[in-house]
Amino acid sequence: MYYNNKKLAMSIFWIVVGVALMALSISGALDDTVYAGMGGALTAVGVLQVLRNLKYRRDGEYREKIDTEYSDERNRYLRMKSWSWAGYVAILVEGVGAVVAMAAGEHTIQLMLSYSVCLLLVTYWVAYLILSRKY
Amino acid sequence: MKNRIEELRNSRGIVQDEFARQMGVSRQTISSLENGRYNPSILLAHKIAAFFGLPIEEVFIFEEE
Repeated sequence: MYYNNKKLAMSIFWIVVGVALMALSISGALDDTVYAGMGGALTAVGVLQVLRNLKYRRDGEYREKIDTEYSDERNRYLRMKSWSWAGYVAILVEGVGAVVAMAAGEHTIQLMLSYSVCLLLVTYWVAYLILSRKY
Repeated sequence: MKNRIEELRNSRGIVQDEFARQMGVSRQTISSLENGRYNPSILLAHKIAAFFGLPIEEVFIFEEE
C-alpha cells in the first residue's frame, strides 16, 4: 500500500507550512519573496499529493497501478541505480569544483566543496559497513 | 542470460499486460525481461517458472560471459 494515512498527514502538513509561509511573506513578517515562492511550491506539492492519495483510495485500478509501480523490482533497481549515478556525479562535480575553486583562490568555496566530497565518501563507507552487516 | 518468456507467453496466448499483472510487476519489466535488457531476481524467476509449470533452467538459459 503506497499511499497511506501517514502520507496524507505529511501532505496536509506541507500545505499548512506552505500557506503559513505565503501568509507570513504577504503580511511582511518574512522580508523576502523567496518564502512566498517556497510556500506556493510546498502548497502545490501538498495539494497534488492529497489529490493522488484520494484517487488512490477511491480508484481500485489506479491503486493497483501505483502499487505495482512502487513494488516492481525493475523500478526499485532503476531507483537504486539512479541514486548511485547521482552520487558519482555529485562527487565528480564537487571534486572538480574544489580544484577550480582552489585555482581561482576561492578558499571558502574550495573548503565547502572538499567537505562535501568527504561527507559523501564517509556516508558511502558507513552505509557499506551497515549494509554488510545486514546482508 | 537468455530466456524463453516471450515464446512461452505467446504459446499460451497471454499478452504482456496480463502476464505482468499475474506476476505483480509492470509491463515494462516484462518487456525488458523478454528483450534480455534486465535479469530478474531469483524470486521473480521462480514465480515466472512456476507460472509456466517449468523448472527455472528451462525458462532462463544461463550463459558464461
